[in-house]
Amino acid sequence: MRKSTFLGLLAFLMTLPVLAQKKIEFKEFTLDNGLHVIMHKDNSTPIVITSVLYHVGSKNENPERTGFAHFFEHLMFEGSENIERGQYMKIIESRGGTLNAFTSNDITYYYEILPSNELELALYMESERMLHSKVDMTGVETQREVVKEEYRQRYENQPYGTILLETLKRAYTDHPYRWAPIGSLDHLNAAKIEEFQQFYNDFYVPNNATLTIAGDIDYKQTEDWVKQYFTEIPKGTKEIYRPNVTEAKKTEEVRDIIYDNIQIPAVIQAYNVPPRNHPDSYAMSMLSTYLTGGNSSLMTKELVDKQQKALALAAIPYELEDGGIFLMYGITNMGVEPEALETEIDKLIKQVQDEGISDRDFEKLQNIIENNIVSGNSTVEGIALNLAESHVIFGDTDYINQTMDKYSQVTKADLQRVAKEYLNLEGRVVLYYLPKAEETTTEE
Amino acid sequence: MKKISISFIFAILISMTGFAQIDRSQLPKAGPAPEINIGEAETFTLDNGLKVFVVENDKLPRVSFTLVLERDPIFEGEKAGYLGFVGQMMTAGTTNRTKDELDEEIDFIGASISASSTSMFGSSLKKHQEKVLELMTDVLYNPVFPEEELDKLKKQSLTNLAASKDDPGSISGRLTSALVYGKDHPYGEFSTEETIANIEVDDIRNYYETFYKPNIAYMAIVGDMNVSEAEDLMNQYFGDWEQGEVPTFEYTMPDGAEQTMVGLVDRSSSVQTVIDVVQPIDLTLGDENYISSRLLNQIFGGGSSGRLFQNLREDKGYTYGAYSSFSSDKLVGQFSASASVRTEVTDSAVYEFVSEIDRLLAEGVTEEELTLAKANLSGSFGRSLESPSTIANFALNMERYDLPSDYYATYLQKVNDLTVDDINATAQKLIEPDKLMITAVGNGSEIAEKLERFGEVKMFDNMGDPAREITMDASMTVEQVIANYIDAIGGMEAASAVKSAKVSMDADVMGNAITLTSVYDDENKRYAQKTSLAGNVMQSTSMVGGKGAISAQGQNIDMNEAQYNEAQMSALFIPELYYESLGYDVKLDGVKDVDGVDAYKVIVTNSDGAYLTNYYAVESGLKIKNENPKSGDTVYSEYEETNGLLVPMLWTITSPAIPVPLAAKITSLEINPTLTDADFN
Repeated sequence: MRKSTFLGLLAFLMTLPVLAQKKIEFKEFTLDNGLHVIMHKDNSTPIVITSVLYHVGSKNENPERTGFAHFFEHLMFEGSENIERGQYMKIIESRGGTLNAFTSNDITYYYEILPSNELELALYMESERMLHSKVDMTGVETQREVVKEEYRQRYENQPYGTILLETLKRAYTDHPYRWAPIGSLDHLNAAKIEEFQQFYNDFYVPNNATLTIAGDIDYKQTEDWVKQYFTEIPKGTKEIYRPNVTEAKKTEEVRDIIYDNIQIPAVIQAYNVPPRNHPDSYAMSMLSTYLTGGNSSLMTKELVDKQQKALALAAIPYELEDGGIFLMYGITNMGVEPEALETEIDKLIKQVQDEGISDRDFEKLQNIIENNIVSGNSTVEGIALNLAESHVIFGDTDYINQTMDKYSQVTKADLQRVAKEYLNLEGRVVLYYLPKAEETTTEE
Repeated sequence: MKKISISFIFAILISMTGFAQIDRSQLPKAGPAPEINIGEAETFTLDNGLKVFVVENDKLPRVSFTLVLERDPIFEGEKAGYLGFVGQMMTAGTTNRTKDELDEEIDFIGASISASSTSMFGSSLKKHQEKVLELMTDVLYNPVFPEEELDKLKKQSLTNLAASKDDPGSISGRLTSALVYGKDHPYGEFSTEETIANIEVDDIRNYYETFYKPNIAYMAIVGDMNVSEAEDLMNQYFGDWEQGEVPTFEYTMPDGAEQTMVGLVDRSSSVQTVIDVVQPIDLTLGDENYISSRLLNQIFGGGSSGRLFQNLREDKGYTYGAYSSFSSDKLVGQFSASASVRTEVTDSAVYEFVSEIDRLLAEGVTEEELTLAKANLSGSFGRSLESPSTIANFALNMERYDLPSDYYATYLQKVNDLTVDDINATAQKLIEPDKLMITAVGNGSEIAEKLERFGEVKMFDNMGDPAREITMDASMTVEQVIANYIDAIGGMEAASAVKSAKVSMDADVMGNAITLTSVYDDENKRYAQKTSLAGNVMQSTSMVGGKGAISAQGQNIDMNEAQYNEAQMSALFIPELYYESLGYDVKLDGVKDVDGVDAYKVIVTNSDGAYLTNYYAVESGLKIKNENPKSGDTVYSEYEETNGLLVPMLWTITSPAIPVPLAAKITSLEINPTLTDADFN
């Protein structure tokens, strides 16, 4: 007994130095207009990613005009004073590149990946977007239709597609996180063109943006081009609106049923958690892995393999700048009532709260986390996003090199503590997703 | 003060380097093309024939091992499906470790390990590489193939098969493989209930013992490992793997269609038609048409800039997406052009597919399209090189397809050298426009006739077998079908004597007993229904006095008028007696094959346009099936007499709400019971 503990300790000590991450080198500078620029050089493949993170998400929206941030993710491909409507994507593709963008509750992120000899083009394209994008009626009307289709495809038509929407709505009462980035189609329909133009002027300014360039680059040449294309973009004149709302701790459970186009019922649970840069975020992330990460994880082994009450289970930390949610879902097995599955999920949560986790499981968690972090920086695409978020969300670009450290500081006792503190059965949201067929038609 | 001077200096700097002078009306030109260095894999072969490729990349401290078996495709015949079980059976436990122990040890080091009938994969951080190899080789050398795992896999497989029989995409997939390759070809066969039942542990074990041999295997190692370390480890872990003779198989090239034809699966509940225009093609990686076929596909239907997408979605709005593919394979490849479209535009969409194919062959591609496709293909080739596993794939391909050693080194040059004429020649070579197989899965009565203009329409069932051709006596009318049914169940007198009924049914869902009770008051148009699981009511419906409500999970929802009217169609014990008085439209739609029985197909539509379909057996006159586009299908069987009336005692229900068919048996049946209001609450 003693020996094995000692060996365990030894193994732990021996693994510690190796836990150190491979350092990601970078250079950064800020232009006078406030644009922050991060560069990472990796000449092993002749490609380059150019990305711009605008620190605006759905939480910065007017509650009467939700969906704006996401709508801009579409509108911003309509073109600029020098790029004709519909040409943005074609230009990138014709030079052998690819592009994409996403919007979250906190940020809007654009990027293009091109052969490395096309870096100047990428910088030009992003500077056009920041300097003078087209925000006109034609573009707004076209993109409204596209967003409607997206809504149908991703939310209405997608089994369980509305989970996040329905959960956020109930998990927050005061904070603007209560609406999801897709927002309201009615708000978009009601908005006047001036409102869209105002949003662009307020948030698409260099002092609200982070430009990241990663890949096969030359630092000096890159810096020169960045200055050439971005210096003339004027700084925003107003202070950027950032909501200052603290969501009150919930003391009562919110419980509801959602009927959806699905065949198999699902149980959703959501617990409010602290801001993304809070130290407990790391413990919560490890806790989610302990519960549902891998075939041998607590809930997967017990509820999917042994009891066969669930077809699949997942615990997902949905981390947000002002405090996100710990989202759990379980899809029931044939003939299993959602209540029966929920009871078992709660039992296991209780078990972690009362008994904590074993030394061996804790060591397993550290190994899994280490593997994930190492693999997380395997592409320039991933590195660029991590660099940009380190700067914007964590306030220090070098945070990218400290992730493993932060996880190393989490103790076994922390996991039990955060399970007790945040997985509060009395202040959570519980949703049952049930087949629509049970709502609108008779079974024979 | 200080601020001003800094910005002043900055302004000078700007003008000195000319930053302010950029011309934004011009797109920046590309710099000199970067040199693309495609890393090379190092190779060695163990004494037992295992050929190893090592792609060293020490960017990250991790390593992956991919073992691939290169064997001829196998025709599984009456055991179709067993190859799909091999991988999971191998990782279900070894002589040293149970499945639980294996899962735990893999997760413990944050690794992943998986297997299939022709491959095994393992990956982890560098420091755990030996543990991964130990676990992988334990699976490779000592699998125990537990019987209970096979039972579990068979059960899952049957569940999936049952669900796939009603899934338009799966039906379409089976039909196209059956047509393109033929059911006697390894690519054209698929598992059925019978073939799954035939699979035994010994089939899996025999396969493993015959084919898991080093002399037909390649190992690709990618990551933080140099070749000398790889050699040591491979000898240590795989050196003792014993060789064996592995059988080879040959297959003839499928013929395809003699002339353009249409293969149709009638799925009457469909609101969309899955269209797939297919053809077998002779295309292998590395042959003279391969690279040009990549460009050809990019132009024709490779993505959102392809002609198919632009025409069928952007221009016509028939579909959310339309795409094509030219798949390559050593035996036989496949050309495919597909989309899911609204029922009403099925023939128009097929017309556009055929026209696009004709236009491609008649007019060819343009210089502009080719330039864009080349940029696209070269760009994605360049991006793919970031992943070291791409280099390993290249090395494997060179070996498996016997490619020249500079094949990938000169790939971009080869892409660039292709001309419009080359692409057009490849299109001519691969596509035979007069021998297309046009497949459609959709509502047959709406689309069958309209598809005749494209070629002979042949009907198939949901397993890709030809549907039996049945001709109907032309004098038959829908009134006669319904009259025959009433006669068959006991005659008009007995039937109309039934004013109400109480039915209770039991079904078993994976060991849980479900009870369905229904109360029909046909005379007063009242109805109530309850579904209970282990005594708890899960869901109930009631329809009284022109109002309907459904409750489930403690929630109560009222029906709107259209929902009520639609529910009414399924809320009568002998609905045929009321079709006329309720103003339903009934239509006879020929004789169909219902699970081997010839049956008249009758479509019943209410004034809102809601419909359901009944099938009445030609021979017995009895109703054998009901299809309801909302709540699913019910097959009626085991008719027994009660109160002078024949009633089906077994109802097999398939519904989108339940993953496997539900066999509900009537446990009690009361005709004209005393009913109170409480029965409908």
